[in-house]
Amino acid sequence: MDNVLINSGMKKPFGKALLYTLPMFLITFMFMSGGRPDFSNPASALAMLITFLFVNVLYFLMHYTGKTDRYRAVIFIIFALSLSFTLISNMVAMRNSMSFSQADILECKIPFCHLVIPMMILPAAFTQSIIFPGSIIGGFANIASMVVLWLIATLVLGRGFCSWGCFYGGWDDGFSRIRKKATVKKISDIWKWMPFAVLIMVSLTAALTLVPTYCDWICPFKAVTEFEQVTSVESATKAGVFISLFAGLVVVLPVMTRKRTQCSFLCPLGAVNTLSNKVTPFTVKIDKKTCTECFKCVEACPLFALSKENIIEGKVSVFCSKCGKCVDTCSKKAIHYGIKGVPAGTMMNFSRNLFLFVSFLFIAVFSSGSIINSLKSLLNLFF
Amino acid sequence: MKKLKIIAGITWAILCLILILILFPGLNSFSSSAATLPFMKINPNYSGGVVVKEMITAGCTLDIRKPVFDGLLKERKTGFMQIDWRGTLPEKLSDTIDYNLDGIPDFWITVDRKGSKTGLNPFNSRVKNVKISTQTSYGWAVRVDLEK
Repeated sequence: MDNVLINSGMKKPFGKALLYTLPMFLITFMFMSGGRPDFSNPASALAMLITFLFVNVLYFLMHYTGKTDRYRAVIFIIFALSLSFTLISNMVAMRNSMSFSQADILECKIPFCHLVIPMMILPAAFTQSIIFPGSIIGGFANIASMVVLWLIATLVLGRGFCSWGCFYGGWDDGFSRIRKKATVKKISDIWKWMPFAVLIMVSLTAALTLVPTYCDWICPFKAVTEFEQVTSVESATKAGVFISLFAGLVVVLPVMTRKRTQCSFLCPLGAVNTLSNKVTPFTVKIDKKTCTECFKCVEACPLFALSKENIIEGKVSVFCSKCGKCVDTCSKKAIHYGIKGVPAGTMMNFSRNLFLFVSFLFIAVFSSGSIINSLKSLLNLFF
Repeated sequence: MKKLKIIAGITWAILCLILILILFPGLNSFSSSAATLPFMKINPNYSGGVVVKEMITAGCTLDIRKPVFDGLLKERKTGFMQIDWRGTLPEKLSDTIDYNLDGIPDFWITVDRKGSKTGLNPFNSRVKNVKISTQTSYGWAVRVDLEK
């Protein structure tokens, strides 16, 4: 039976792929429409319909073609773009600017994002409070909802959150796909430990200063979301750091290396998610019986999660974000989605189907709000 | 043992499927529960501290907040106190503030809202300077730096 699976890859016949898509079709319909689609606003209804069809077509194609990363990347990149668009358009509508003012900080109106989480742990333990000027509950991107979403997603997906849930990862994922071949090929994979250094540094500095230092000084995504109004040398320096890091780690280096350099070398939450990879049941497995050690998967991995040693050993590292790029690359299907405890090379279809359902459902529902919102804004512009 | 591992792995994976299925419909309820956790409150360094005195004048309310010196393990030597004017505000605000509620005025503050100019006249050596003075959605807020 395993031989049949290997020879046919993960492709499914049209009807079977459609059948596998049906549960996703029904569940995403329920989650996106709340069971009662609202047709009173044509732009909203059309935006919802397009988003609904878009996500389900992608899911169908994952089953029909047997390719994962190719279609995951589409929704992942669109999620990142649409979220930035939604956030910026909200900011411009509310404040006529992409920057937030001192009044927004004083009134705790700053949208919360999951990257703050590593920095709030120590202060929350010692001061019993959250060091972020956001809203605990209610309003856009409130702290309680984001913490719950991240906590459950990281428990279920581990570092898979970085490829199936993070609304920033799509930026460097997108830029890493622009060129067909990398111009910089040799990067020491020792750099993949850098996020742990950043995590320790920002956790300690945040605890000592009670300021989310990563958001305040480092986060490259401030360049495409929101940042402090430039009113002083300090705020101008911060804006300079955000833009430089975005240009360097999210645009230039991913284009040159075909790797997700921001996620690999900087993100402190990526380091936390790496640890949670130990908990999740889903993993990527290497079947040593079929692996020819061509190492194409090592070259393809965008997060330095695979090395030649890993392949020889038959084990992916904890840095794996389950993006599926290695799985798509392997012509022998020797590397595949798996479930912990289940031996490599067995139950490949079951493991992939279960993982795809869980991870795709998460990104489909999580991203739908911002995709619908962006589409609605675009439709309102044209009609 | 091998079979047990397989069963445990698949059971955990199916539990994760259930978790994701209930996550979005239950998000509001999970978030509300999370919001009640003891650490789920904004640090006073951001929220400005609790209101300890409310002074009401015609159409305008002045909130005096508790001074904030909060640090990680112990109080810091320097901090701030926040005052908020809410309601229909006159163009020029002028108030005498007793932030430590000892009955003795600590500073006199003036705000020219049109020109965004804020003046501080300290009567207490612990009152240092104006840290923030800004228009807010509810009126005007000022943070004054303090020494302990």
